[in-house]
Amino acid sequence: MFASKRLSKMQEHVPPGIAIAKSENLEEWQMDIKVLDDNPLYQNQTYRLKFTFGSKYPIEPPEVQFIECAASSDTPRPIPIHPHIYSNGIICLDLLSSAGWSPVQTVESVCMSIQSMLTANSRNERPPGDSDFVSYNRRRIRDIPFVYEDDNV
Amino acid sequence: MNLKQFLALEADCDPEALVDLRALDCVSEYDFHLMCPICHCPFVQPMRLQCDHVFCQECLSSAITTSRLADSDEFPCPSCRNPTSDVSTSVPRLLINMCDDIQVRCPFTVQGCQEIVPRGHVQSHVDKYCGYRLVPCPDGSCNKTTRKKDLHPDERCMHGLRQCSHCEEDIMEQDYEEHDRELCPSLEATCVDCETVVLHRDLKKHTETCPEVVSPCAASKYGCSIKVRRAEIATHEQHCPLIAMSPYFKAQNTRLDSLELTIRHLQQRNEIFEDGLANIRSTLVESARVGVTDRTSGRAAIDSEQARTEDSPEEFADRSSSVSSNATTYLLSLHESLRDEVGQLSHAITDLDARASMAIMNESLRIKEDMAHTNAAVNSVRMQVQWLMNPRLHHGTRAGFRTNTASTAGNEGARSQLTSSSAPGTSNTAGPSLGPLRPRRPSDSGREGTKL
Repeated sequence: MFASKRLSKMQEHVPPGIAIAKSENLEEWQMDIKVLDDNPLYQNQTYRLKFTFGSKYPIEPPEVQFIECAASSDTPRPIPIHPHIYSNGIICLDLLSSAGWSPVQTVESVCMSIQSMLTANSRNERPPGDSDFVSYNRRRIRDIPFVYEDDNV
Repeated sequence: MNLKQFLALEADCDPEALVDLRALDCVSEYDFHLMCPICHCPFVQPMRLQCDHVFCQECLSSAITTSRLADSDEFPCPSCRNPTSDVSTSVPRLLINMCDDIQVRCPFTVQGCQEIVPRGHVQSHVDKYCGYRLVPCPDGSCNKTTRKKDLHPDERCMHGLRQCSHCEEDIMEQDYEEHDRELCPSLEATCVDCETVVLHRDLKKHTETCPEVVSPCAASKYGCSIKVRRAEIATHEQHCPLIAMSPYFKAQNTRLDSLELTIRHLQQRNEIFEDGLANIRSTLVESARVGVTDRTSGRAAIDSEQARTEDSPEEFADRSSSVSSNATTYLLSLHESLRDEVGQLSHAITDLDARASMAIMNESLRIKEDMAHTNAAVNSVRMQVQWLMNPRLHHGTRAGFRTNTASTAGNEGARSQLTSSSAPGTSNTAGPSLGPLRPRRPSDSGREGTKL
C-alpha cells in the first residue's frame, strides 16, 4: 500500500527539532519533539508523541497523543503543560479530528503544528476540567467530542 | 464534471489487470512537484480542482468520499480547504509526460526481470514483453503459476515431475532444461587447473585435493607470500623459515591474546577507579568552593597562589574558578604529603616502641639479678645474726636479772664497740630491736669479734 511507502519516505529527512524515536512498524510511531525558540515553559525539554496509523491513513487522521516516559529513565519525557493538552497526553487540536484533518498532512506537518502550538503558548496551565477528564475518559481519542472554541492558541 | 460524475468515473476500470503504479520502484530522482500530496507518489491519472491543486484520481476520490458532508455538492480542497464543486480532468500534458517519463523497475524484479522502463511504458512491458510475469498454468486442472517465458509452445502443463537421466533426481519439467544444462550433479566438469574431467558433484572434493591447484604456503598468515602448486608445497614447506617459526608465532599469538584480555580487564577496573576519583574530586571542589567563599576577607591564605589572588577582590572574583581548581590540587597534594608524613611517623613510633621495650627488658633483668643477689646476702646475714643471737639468748635466760643493776655506762660502751666492729647493716637491724630488751655484758664483745 502506498501509505507505508509514504511513511518510510519520511524517515530519510526530518525537520529540525523533530526526531523519530521508534518506527519499527507502520502502525505505531513515536516521535521526539523539541520547542526550538526560547519559550521558558518548554525550554530544554523533549516530548514524545505517539502516532497510531489506521488502515485508511492518510485519508483518515492518525491518532496522536503525548506519552510520558518516567523521569528516572534514560530518556525522560514529560507531558507538556498547555491549556489544550490534558495531563494524560491527549491533545485538543482540530487538525487531528476527522473534520479538521486533510490527507495532505504528514507526520512532519503534524509535528510542526504541535511544535508551533507549544511555541505560541504563554499560559502555564492545563485545560479546564483536566482532572475529571483524565479520571473519567475511557473513549478513544477520535471519539471524544472536543469543542474548538479557542482560536488564539 | 461535477463530483458525482467524478466519483462514478473510477468504477469503470479493472484493477486486476493494471500495474499498481504507486508500488513501482523509481530508479531516478524526480521533482517533488510531480508528487501527489496525498500518496506522495508521482501523479497517477492527475485531476485538477478549481483552485488549481492537482491530485491523483484515486486519492482524490477517496478523500472526497471521507471528507464530503453527506451528499453535498461541495468539498474542501485537501491542500487549501477551498470549497470545490468541480473536478477537471484536463491537466497540462507537460505534467503527464513528466510523470510518465520517470524510470521505474519492472514490477517482476523478484521473479528475475532486470528491465528498467519509463513509467508510461510499464503497462505495455508487463502485458506484452516481460517474460517473468507469473501467469496461471495453461492446464486448467493445475493451480500453479508459471513464468511467461517458461510456457510451453503447445500450452502444456510444465509442472509435472520428470526424472533426470543422470542423477535420478525428480525435477519439475519447467526447470529441467536448466538442470540438465548446468545444475545436475552428474554432469562432467573440467578442473581448471589440472584439466582432468570429473563429475560435477565431485568437483568440489577434487579442487580440495587437486595437486595442480596453486595454493598458498601454510605460513601465509605469518607473512610467507609464496604460492606454488599443491604438489610442490611440501618441498617448499620443508625449507620455509616461517614454517619453522610458526610454533613460536602461535605461542606468541596466544600470549598476546591473553595479555589483551588482561589489559581489557585492567582497563575496566581503571575506569571504575577513575570514576571514583572523579567523584572524590568533585566533592573536594565543592568543599573548596565553600572554603574560598568563606575567606573573602582575604586572610588565612593557604598557599602563595591563593594569597596573591586574594589581594584584590575583583581579580579574585575573576579567577575564582582557577583558584578553586588550584585549591583542589593543593589540597590533594597536601593530603598526599600528610599521608606520607603520618606513615613515617607511625614507622618511627613502632621503632621507638620496640627499642624501649628492649631496653626495659634488659634493665629489669639486671635489676632482678641484683635483687636476687641482695636477697641471698640478706638471708645469709639473717642466719648469721640468728646464730649469733642464740647463745646470747641462752645466756640471758641463765644469768637472770642479776645484771639489771649493772651500770648503764658500761652497757653503752659495749654497744658502741659492737657497732664499730660489725657490719653497719647488721647492727642497724639487730641493735635497736635487741638493745632495749636485754642489756649486754661487757664480756660479750670479745666473742663477737672472734666470730666475725
